[in-house]
Amino acid sequence: MQLVYSSRADAFEVIYDRHADAAFSLAYRMCNQRALAEDVVQEAFLSVWRSRARYDRGRGSVRTWLLGIVHNRAIDALRRRSVRDRGIVNDEGIEERIPAPERTDVEFARREEARQVRDALEGLPGEQSRVIELAYFGGLTHVQIASMLDTPVGTIKGRMRLGLAKMRVTLGDPTEAVQP
Amino acid sequence: MSEQGTGSTSEGCGGNAAPYVLGALTEEEHVEFVAHLQSCAICREEVSALEMVANALPAAAPQVLAPVELKDRVMATVRQEASLSAPAASPRRAQSRGGSFGWLQWRPALAGALVAAVVALAVVLAGSGGGSGAARARLVHAQVLAPTGTATIHLSEGHAQLDVADMPQTTPNRVYEVWLKRNGAPQPTDALFTVSSSGDATVGVPGSVNGVSEILVTSEPRGGSRVPTRSPVIVARLS
Repeated sequence: MQLVYSSRADAFEVIYDRHADAAFSLAYRMCNQRALAEDVVQEAFLSVWRSRARYDRGRGSVRTWLLGIVHNRAIDALRRRSVRDRGIVNDEGIEERIPAPERTDVEFARREEARQVRDALEGLPGEQSRVIELAYFGGLTHVQIASMLDTPVGTIKGRMRLGLAKMRVTLGDPTEAVQP
Repeated sequence: MSEQGTGSTSEGCGGNAAPYVLGALTEEEHVEFVAHLQSCAICREEVSALEMVANALPAAAPQVLAPVELKDRVMATVRQEASLSAPAASPRRAQSRGGSFGWLQWRPALAGALVAAVVALAVVLAGSGGGSGAARARLVHAQVLAPTGTATIHLSEGHAQLDVADMPQTTPNRVYEVWLKRNGAPQPTDALFTVSSSGDATVGVPGSVNGVSEILVTSEPRGGSRVPTRSPVIVARLS
């Protein structure tokens, strides 16, 4: 049986240890505030713990499931904040990057996947990567992005789709690259 | 290729697949698009294709270490809740170990009843305020009257958190509202919520639940109501 289905706390601790850094990295990238990112990650892990019986492995890895929850919770948190507050960045300056020496096969594959995803995103035309970053990491709606960039909504949607489609071609099927 | 005429197979549906997988639809659009996906194979296919990329995007975030104290907080709650929901594991352990409880393996029904009684007693004691800290927490499984869904109340130190899963989406102009029933009358709270695309939500119940007999959830017009306008979809009996 997969660890995620277990009702034992020690089994869940393995899942936490395996994915906590990725979850916190995503939350921190989106929230830019340590305390808010911690709240988001805490809520996400507890949501996974409490709804573990409903995990469907056919819909993706535990990591994908968890990070999807982190993303949704971070969006909720960002949209609750006022637009004025959103400009605050790196309030506590944590830049404690994960040290390099842990070179297990899985870790190596993850680093390689991260490099490929970053390259694919940075390789897009600027207007496409920007709308994807504002939407995915900034938690902005396409309407907000359109207003911010003074660009028609349809154009913003088109840039999002074009950018994602190009990244898909570049990456192949990225979700198959590393499984937990 | 123009930015609007992208050749998207879902253009006729408004081209919402990309903003959907990026989480960039407005709340109302999200609800509408989720409903639309049920009947549109073209959009489902496009979402499936683009979702693969969106699922990889977290890897593009700079990697930082999660704080150690965060693990302490998460695992403290997990251990507390695991101990409260232990009855499923206990009978198997009693049967496999033998030893002092070896006789239980010959009387599985009695063993189950005994374990259930012990666990029930533990929950009652935990909820009675007789212990300290984590021991005062308890779980209440609520009755869900919606077509789908589960709901759990986490009680701790006189406060409550509601966790729902698989609940139906509200329509664009409605939200779920939490009510506290005291002295037979439901009192409104500021807790208004919608659920995620998978029907999940975690909601902190405002204020103390001391003296509250039931926590209710109803579907109300956006902005909430001062008195319930519909029958409850969730009923959690606390006493």
